[in-house]
Amino acid sequence: MRISVDTNRCSGHARCRAVAPEVYELDELGYNVTPQQTVPAGLEEASRRGAEACPEQAITIEDD
Amino acid sequence: MDWDVLAPTTMAENDAAWRALRSTCPVAWTPRNGGHWVVSGYEQVAEAFRGWEQFSSARTDPAVSSITLGNAQIPRLVPEEMDPPEWHPVRRVLARQLSPAASERLRPRARHWASHCLDAAMESGRCELVTEFAFPVPAAVALEWLGFPSSDWEMMSHAFHDPLAHPRGSSEQARAGKAFLTVMGRVRDEIAARTVRPRDDGMTSILHSDVEGQPVSTELAEALVFMTIGGGVDTTSALASAALLHLHRQPDDRARLLEDRTLLESATEEFLRLYPPARTHARTVTGDIEFGGCPMRAGDRVLLSETSAGRDPLAFDDPDRFVIDRFPNRHLAFGAGIHRCPGSHLARIVFTEMLDELLDRIPDYRIVDEEVVEYPNWASIGGWAKLPAVFPPRPRGS
Repeated sequence: MRISVDTNRCSGHARCRAVAPEVYELDELGYNVTPQQTVPAGLEEASRRGAEACPEQAITIEDD
Repeated sequence: MDWDVLAPTTMAENDAAWRALRSTCPVAWTPRNGGHWVVSGYEQVAEAFRGWEQFSSARTDPAVSSITLGNAQIPRLVPEEMDPPEWHPVRRVLARQLSPAASERLRPRARHWASHCLDAAMESGRCELVTEFAFPVPAAVALEWLGFPSSDWEMMSHAFHDPLAHPRGSSEQARAGKAFLTVMGRVRDEIAARTVRPRDDGMTSILHSDVEGQPVSTELAEALVFMTIGGGVDTTSALASAALLHLHRQPDDRARLLEDRTLLESATEEFLRLYPPARTHARTVTGDIEFGGCPMRAGDRVLLSETSAGRDPLAFDDPDRFVIDRFPNRHLAFGAGIHRCPGSHLARIVFTEMLDELLDRIPDYRIVDEEVVEYPNWASIGGWAKLPAVFPPRPRGS
């Protein structure tokens, strides 16, 4: 499973991290600057919730 | 459609007007207030906020606010009334000052001031929740961090609160312009003092910031301080007021929060969705476009409604119901796109500390319904002027 973030769309709401801090890291200003990451084992549900929380809908989850 | 969006209404009347418009015409024109578009649907509001190139925030008339209707003669809000590229380096300064980590460092101060304000009321069994709690706590947190002496706090917070809390034509409203000048005068004096002697505070930190490798100018530093106060003080108060009134009117929601304080996080997002303090923002169309099926012309003014977006049934199931653990909750209370409120992290922290403290100290508060006074106008910032509460008296420190 992979997380893709449209980093241009990210406006720094920080909801992904609020909901799933184990998965989502932000830069010092509170923006998600990680365009691609692999979902760590056991954190699939947290990853999905973090993506769903984004008001910009900047995060997509891909099952591989 | 002939709607004067600036007319005085109650909150319920304003919400009803948005509901009626949104269900028939999510993008519509009104000839009132100089003529402007009104965007009430969630998808359209989000798209317009994200489309800064089509929907500009920059000033067209230097004397008048671009991001509200009603031609408010206030100093330019920075970086809010800027477009890229000018916006970018100025935004970085404010984003750094109000970053998640910087905001988290203020959590203990939010708790301190919430506790301090409640202490005073415990023995009397009465607390006017606006003037004694919701209003002074966010002001104390922001103004203390910025570095203003406490003797300034009441004057400054009133300068932002009074024009909203009192009707047009009232003497309080008339004093508003003068009050802003007094605030700017204090900002100028305190910034000037720090150019000579830096201190360990927010104003010094702003003054020592860089804009594209150059030291920030004193004018920009002053403007950023004004923006920080204006953006975060009365808005956070309004959210706290809304929540406390809601928890009075909906005892089941209060009971759930008292039982399980971990629900405060998701409850906060519901308060933001249903009672956004900043209810609308204005934009200016930059070039002829078709948007929401409407032909917009360069120079047209557009009013976006975060509050209407938050109650759009196309975006939220059972939208008028407060669902304490609603998820997802992609409300637009802090806007969207590049101008997303930079104070959103601090706002959530201050609000949750305020609610948590109050629910610990006076879980049994009751608001005196007959004495509730709303702001007279719900067009732009929505809030309350008075929320008198009563509770069984208890020792000061309990």
